[in-house]
Amino acid sequence: MPRLCELQQAFAKAIVEGKSHAAAETMAEDGRSLRSLALYRRLIRNNFVQVLTITYPVLHRLVGPRYFDVLARGYLKRYPSMSGDLFSYGRHLSVMLFELQVPPLLVELARLEWVCHEVHHAADPPPLSQGRLQAIASADPAQVTFRLQAASRLLSFSFPVHRVWLALQPEAPADEVVELPLPEQETGVVVTRGDGKIQVTPLARTDYLLLEAMSCGADAASVERMAIESEPEFDFARFLATVLSLRIITGFSVTETL
Amino acid sequence: MSIHDSAPIPAQAGIGLRSHHFREILDAPPPVAWMETHPENYFGAGGAPLHILERIRSRYPLSFHGVGLSLGSTDPIDRAHLCKLNVLIDRFEPAFVSEHLSWSSVGGHFLNELLPLPYSEESLDHVCARIDQVQTILKRPLLIENITRYLTWRDSTIPEGTFMAEAARRTGCGILLDLNNAYVNAVNFHLDPIEFLEMIPAEAVQEIHLAGFDRFGRMLIDTHGQPVYPEVWGLYQWAIHHFGPRPTLIEWDTNLPPLSVLVEQATQADAILGGCHASAL
Repeated sequence: MPRLCELQQAFAKAIVEGKSHAAAETMAEDGRSLRSLALYRRLIRNNFVQVLTITYPVLHRLVGPRYFDVLARGYLKRYPSMSGDLFSYGRHLSVMLFELQVPPLLVELARLEWVCHEVHHAADPPPLSQGRLQAIASADPAQVTFRLQAASRLLSFSFPVHRVWLALQPEAPADEVVELPLPEQETGVVVTRGDGKIQVTPLARTDYLLLEAMSCGADAASVERMAIESEPEFDFARFLATVLSLRIITGFSVTETL
Repeated sequence: MSIHDSAPIPAQAGIGLRSHHFREILDAPPPVAWMETHPENYFGAGGAPLHILERIRSRYPLSFHGVGLSLGSTDPIDRAHLCKLNVLIDRFEPAFVSEHLSWSSVGGHFLNELLPLPYSEESLDHVCARIDQVQTILKRPLLIENITRYLTWRDSTIPEGTFMAEAARRTGCGILLDLNNAYVNAVNFHLDPIEFLEMIPAEAVQEIHLAGFDRFGRMLIDTHGQPVYPEVWGLYQWAIHHFGPRPTLIEWDTNLPPLSVLVEQATQADAILGGCHASAL
C-alpha cells in the first residue's frame, strides 16, 4: 500500500477514533504532533457542528447550544460524512434522536427542519400553462392524476410542531409562549417555498388526506369522492384552486382511453 | 447554453460571496470588480440560492473556489461531485475554477477539512495525476491554492513552494496564492514567507487571496474571521510588486461583518494594485 494512503488512513483514525499513535508517527518530531491532532479534531468537529446548526436552527434555538453540541457530536460519531459537499449531512438526525428516546417533540422538529432544508434546495417547478389546465378541465376526472412538485412536501406530526417552528423563527418575539395541546393532536402540514422563503402551512384534516392521496397517484374522481365522504359539504373546486395557487401541484397526467 | 459574458476577471479586488450578504448585494450592488463563491453551496437542484447567484452573475464576473473535491485524497476522484461542478460551470461561466492543494477524505469517509499533503515525490506524482484528471473532466485549467497547515509530515521532503511550482509546471494548472495562509504557516513554523513566495513562478499566479486569522495561544488559525492583518498587507505589497497585479479576493467566512467592511478591504487592495499599475507606467 502506498505511504500516502497509509498516512491518510492513520490521520483519519486519529481524528475519528482518537487513536493518535500511528498518525503521530507520520508527523515531524517537533513536539507538537499530539497538539496538532487535537487542533484538527476540534476544527473538524466545529465544522460539522456548524453545518448541523445551520440546517437545524430551530432545534438549536430550542435546546440551546450546549445540548445541541452534545447531539451534534453524537451524530458525527454515528453518521460520518460521505461527501465533499455537505448538502446531505444531517439527514439522519431525527432517526438518531428517535433512537436516543429524546422527547418526541424534538424528533418531529428535526424531521420538519430536514424537510425544510430539502425543500429550500429542491428543483424549481415547471410552469403550468393555461392551455394545459384547459386540456385537463375537459378530461375525464377518473383518468386525471396529479403530480406534486419537488419543492412541496407533506408531513404529519403527533404534535403541532409547526407552531414551535414558527415561534422560534429569528423574527419571532423572543418571549412568546407556545402552548401545546395535550393529549397529542395529529397535525398535517405542507412545506412549500414562496419568494425564496420556506413556509410551513397547517392543513385541515381533509385537505391533508386529499393531498396525500394525490401524491400517491389517486385520480381526480377518487380524490373528489374521498372529499365528499370526509365532509359532505366539501368544496372540491376551492381546494383545487388553493393547491394550484400555492403551486403544490405542478403537473397532471391524463390516461388515454384505449 | 449560458447567457453570461465570460470576460476574464480584471486585476482588481473582489469579495467572497456569502449568503449572509445576499440581500445587501441585491439591494445595492457594491463597487467591487468581481465575486467568488464556493460552488458546493449551489449544488442543490433549484431554489433561491441559484436564482440569487444568477442575478449576481449578471452584474459581476465570478470565480468558483471549491472546498469539497478532496484533490489530494487517495480515494478515487468523486465524479458525481465533478459532474455537479460541471453543470454549474456551464450555467455560470466562472472565469476561474480553483481548489485547495489538500485532501479531506479516505476510505469513502469525509472529514470535510482542508488537510495538508506531505510534500513528497509520491504526493507530487499523485496530485499531478489528479489535477490532470480534473482538468480533463472539466475541460479547463484549474487553479490550486496553498493551504494553512498545523502540522508537518515526516515525509515532507520538498519545500511547499517548489511542490506547487512543480505541480503547475507538470499539469499546466494555475496557482491561487493565499497570502494569509502563507503568513500563518510562516509564523506557526518559523519560516520565511518571502522564501516560499520566491519559489512560485509569476506566470502561474492567476489570483491572490487575502483574509484574516485568529490567535489561539501561540498558534495562528486561518479563521477568515478578521480583517486582513498589517503583516499580510505588507506581504501583499511585496507580492504585487514581485508578481505584478493580479485579481485579488477579500475572503471572509466566519464572524461576518457588514458588507461595507469587505468593500473597504477590497478598496485597500485596489489602492495597492493601482499603485503598482501606476509605477509600471
